[in-house]
Amino acid sequence: MAGFTKKLSDNLFDKFSMDFLRSQVLKNAYGNDDTVIARLDPRILIVWYLFFGLVPWFANDLIFLLFSFMIVVVTTVLARVAGLVLFLFLLGVFSQTGYLFVATLIFGGNGTAIAPLLVLTLKVATVSLASITVFSGLDPDRLSNGLMWFKCPERLSFSISYAYRMLPMLMEEFQSVLLSYRMRGNPPDSGTFLGKIRYLIYQIKVIIHAFYPLMLNTAKRSRTTVEALEIKGYRYAAVNKDVKKLKLASLKVTYDDMIFLIISFLMICISLFISSMV
Amino acid sequence: MEKVKKQTATQSQKLMVFVLTMALYGLATLFTELIPSFQVGIVEFSVEYFLFIPLTLSMLFDPMSAALGAATGELVFSEIMLGQFGGLGELEKFITVTIGVYIAGRMVANPAKRKMVGIAAMTGVVIQQLLGTIVDILKVQFAVSDFEAVAGLPESVFATEGFAFLNDVLFSGILFCLLPTLFLVPKLYGKIEPLLGMQPRSRETYLGAINIKVVLGCIVAFAVAVCSEMLAESGTSLIDWEAGWAGSSTALFAGMIVAAAAALIVLIFMRRGAAVRVNGEEQA
Amino acid sequence: MNVIEIENLTFSYPGASAPTLKKLNLTVEAGDFLAIVGNNGCGKSTLCKAMNGLIPNFITGTYSGRVLAKGLDTCGTDVGSLAARVGYVYQDFENQIVRPTVLDDASYACMNYAMKDYLERGKAALEKCGLAGREKDYIWQLSGGQTHLLALAGAVSLEPDVLILDEPIAQLDPGHADRIYEILKDLNENYGKTIIVIEHHTEYIADYCKHVVLLKEGTVAWKLPTREALCRVKDLTASDIFPPQVTRAAYELKKNGVLPMSGELPVTVSEGRKIFGGLSCHRAEDGKAACESVRSWETPPAAVEFKDVSLAYRSVKGGPNQIFDRLNLTVRKGEKIALIGSNGAGKSTLMKMMTGLLRPSQGEIEIFGEKIQSVKRDKLFRRISLVYQNPEEMFIKDTIESDIAYAMEVRNIKQWKERTGQLLEQFRLTGLKDRDGRLLSGGQMRRASLAIGIALNPEILLLDEPTANLDIATRREIIRTLEDMKDVTDTVMIATHDMQLVCEWAQRIIVLCGGKVIGDGTRNEIFGNEQIRERTGIRPPEIFSMGQELCPQAYCYTIDEFVQTFGGDFNGRVHKEAIG
Repeated sequence: MAGFTKKLSDNLFDKFSMDFLRSQVLKNAYGNDDTVIARLDPRILIVWYLFFGLVPWFANDLIFLLFSFMIVVVTTVLARVAGLVLFLFLLGVFSQTGYLFVATLIFGGNGTAIAPLLVLTLKVATVSLASITVFSGLDPDRLSNGLMWFKCPERLSFSISYAYRMLPMLMEEFQSVLLSYRMRGNPPDSGTFLGKIRYLIYQIKVIIHAFYPLMLNTAKRSRTTVEALEIKGYRYAAVNKDVKKLKLASLKVTYDDMIFLIISFLMICISLFISSMV
Repeated sequence: MEKVKKQTATQSQKLMVFVLTMALYGLATLFTELIPSFQVGIVEFSVEYFLFIPLTLSMLFDPMSAALGAATGELVFSEIMLGQFGGLGELEKFITVTIGVYIAGRMVANPAKRKMVGIAAMTGVVIQQLLGTIVDILKVQFAVSDFEAVAGLPESVFATEGFAFLNDVLFSGILFCLLPTLFLVPKLYGKIEPLLGMQPRSRETYLGAINIKVVLGCIVAFAVAVCSEMLAESGTSLIDWEAGWAGSSTALFAGMIVAAAAALIVLIFMRRGAAVRVNGEEQA
Repeated sequence: MNVIEIENLTFSYPGASAPTLKKLNLTVEAGDFLAIVGNNGCGKSTLCKAMNGLIPNFITGTYSGRVLAKGLDTCGTDVGSLAARVGYVYQDFENQIVRPTVLDDASYACMNYAMKDYLERGKAALEKCGLAGREKDYIWQLSGGQTHLLALAGAVSLEPDVLILDEPIAQLDPGHADRIYEILKDLNENYGKTIIVIEHHTEYIADYCKHVVLLKEGTVAWKLPTREALCRVKDLTASDIFPPQVTRAAYELKKNGVLPMSGELPVTVSEGRKIFGGLSCHRAEDGKAACESVRSWETPPAAVEFKDVSLAYRSVKGGPNQIFDRLNLTVRKGEKIALIGSNGAGKSTLMKMMTGLLRPSQGEIEIFGEKIQSVKRDKLFRRISLVYQNPEEMFIKDTIESDIAYAMEVRNIKQWKERTGQLLEQFRLTGLKDRDGRLLSGGQMRRASLAIGIALNPEILLLDEPTANLDIATRREIIRTLEDMKDVTDTVMIATHDMQLVCEWAQRIIVLCGGKVIGDGTRNEIFGNEQIRERTGIRPPEIFSMGQELCPQAYCYTIDEFVQTFGGDFNGRVHKEAIG
């Protein structure tokens, strides 16, 4: 536990891991724009996601689920997703079904509880990996264009690309504010177990306090941004249909997209075939 | 003329508040996504979220923009950016966060009054958590098809969800929402508004107490959230997969495989042809 | 033809007690390259926002009078149609860029206004702004100067006739600043754009602008051709604007009677050559000896030592990005060091390594003989302190008083209250102690950040760009503050582009280029070395170049020194006022 708390606090505050975190998030956002997945048409991928993100929830067939899981594992590998995201995925799967599993055992469940939970775990894993493939693997801007084609609100697609633009800046600023605390603050001694807990509390407090300067600094920024958006015709474009057409003109379905869809379809057919044979 | 001007001004201010909340809360949720939670027995202690950021901003600025900004920020930064997007189910979180933050923001008439700020912050958290818990319980019920049949499962679900709710309200709610909001709102009040070129909230700019319209709006929104969640979780009744498979013949699937494979081969050839043509044009 | 016509413009921000602009009249002719000067808060930015219609269409307030942009009344015309006539680049241009990649941002406005050829327009704009070839890059891959060019390209893409830039070179090294101005010149001369800049670097005004407008208390004091304008030394200094150093030197020499009263004042070095040509150099060697004498024979102990330090940043794509490769450097106790080099040479990184905030991937850094990793953090930050380039990030509390007190308070230092009071007094902040740091003016913010930096009485003080983003008057104030601090601080290192600061303050200058120390010595050794100057693009103050032009042995770094060196006969009569 003590070791864990130590690790936790290091994770929270250490410059090294802050930097690591930043680079991982950036890598995930910008570093894999030349993969097979990134080159696919966003609309095709969204349709693909609609299948793999929803259908596994409805299905209870083990073979079908296993095949779907394998497909999304392959696409995740193809998308060259950052390590951190995969780690989060594992953590997420555990926290969604793993804890239920433990709780069932405590409340007197037996082996019969395991089978439905295994199916549930496969479902969760497949759906998560499908979303990781699409949302981590795709260039954010192409994703927002794709969403726009499906008539998602303009503000959402704007938010996505704006977030990707802002993220490095925000993180840098947050980091500097934290560094200010680190240089001037006097964290409690983390030698003993109690000290470690105190240290952790101190750090959480610092993170919360850090949002005071961050809020004011970001407020200054967002004013310029909104003025600049006005000059650049953002509000004008939001209500203009021609602009939308113009934006979406860059989307094009290619043979690669069709092949990608057909391969996925083929695998699903094979799984159904096997499942019906059994 | 005067009126028109005022309208555009508020439009731009709303956009500023939206952008501000989205960026800040998005960043915060990105971190909470990364801070591991630790478990003592079955009670999970986690830094659920930094809801104090949108709560603070919704009490100082336009509540609706702050609420939507927060929900969008979480969706975009932590869900989409980290690839943790959970599909249609995210709509539930989106709507509950929006409702919680919005109501909290509407409750505060004078941000300088600490008591009201505290009550509003807690109300916001409790509403958000309660709605989330209701959805969560329904969710497990639908996801595990023979929910009642598994011994101990229903009790464990109610117990863990109940615990999670209390834990979230008492732990995250007080530590991460109430205290920081109480700390931040009075400090920022009157200071952050001029940076965005706005007047601080006062009797004139306050939207007025929560009325029936707000409550009805929230109920409708929550109903949408529940529906979307159920749609995401309980497809079994909509599409009868089991029945479909039982009745279908193996030959049908074999046929589909052949058709798909044929299509694949044709496509690969067509792609080659296209590639050759492009190359040829480039050379010419 | 006039592109901008302003008649009787009065504007006040909501809630403000006095109008920011008062009955302002101004016309700008097509094809002009106009500089707007004036002290802080005289309404320069407000005026520019009135020209592109943000006022009154987007920013509300009390507005009267008339602004015509290319014949269109800005009141009642939507911001979009105006943006196609008047482009605007903000001072905090970083926040003006809203898209993740370069071409995307450059063509964003055109796309929003539904122009079919938006990509071509974006590409053409990038071409004009010298960013061709960077189309596919992400914003964060650009340097500060390039980001500014991109903000400019975003405005240029709509092909406006008028371009307004708010302090375009405030954060740039001379090399990048030149580049921006060369591009503006090109846009002005070859593409017929009217350029309006808010600028306080009068050297650049002298080199590039055609007309100058002096704004005073919300109204136009005068609009004159550049030459004439810059020679109005009295008017300008009264508004905290400092004419080029050659101009001021000639003005002083005139006052001293060395130059004839009737003669013209020079505004550039080449003009200076003609006007000062007849003067003889009196005390060139003296000056040099005086500077050198600072070096004492005894070598003080090392404060910080870099031993074969290498550092690489993780990059998003491809291999790591090497910043330092086997760097060796010793900083000795009591030294006053200036660290110079172009943007991205690794100055800030070096400082961060000294505070242990960044760990080198190889090699050792020692502080007072101890390895930096083994020093306890608390002890380390008592001995060494870093003041950021951006003072806003130093403010973590809601008043500057508690910000200054914070580090002492949490360490339970005895009499922290008294010391806080002293520091507030010393940095002339007592009257502002209850204000939030972020809401202060640029100079006050800097002073507060310096006070925070020395609160713990550190033995080593590191300052990152302490004069960046300040107008000249405030810059001089900070330089004076740094002079005053010399007695209370021991070892100080400043990273800066500000060569005036370097010349007046530093005893030792370290030049960084591509992660290596390529120059290390006194100001004469550095600025006298042609090779270093060429390799790094650093540029000595104008007055130094002027002196060198006249006499290669002359090393004058301030106007005082120049006046003494070339007006030697009148030494006794040199005014004691601060004219440096």
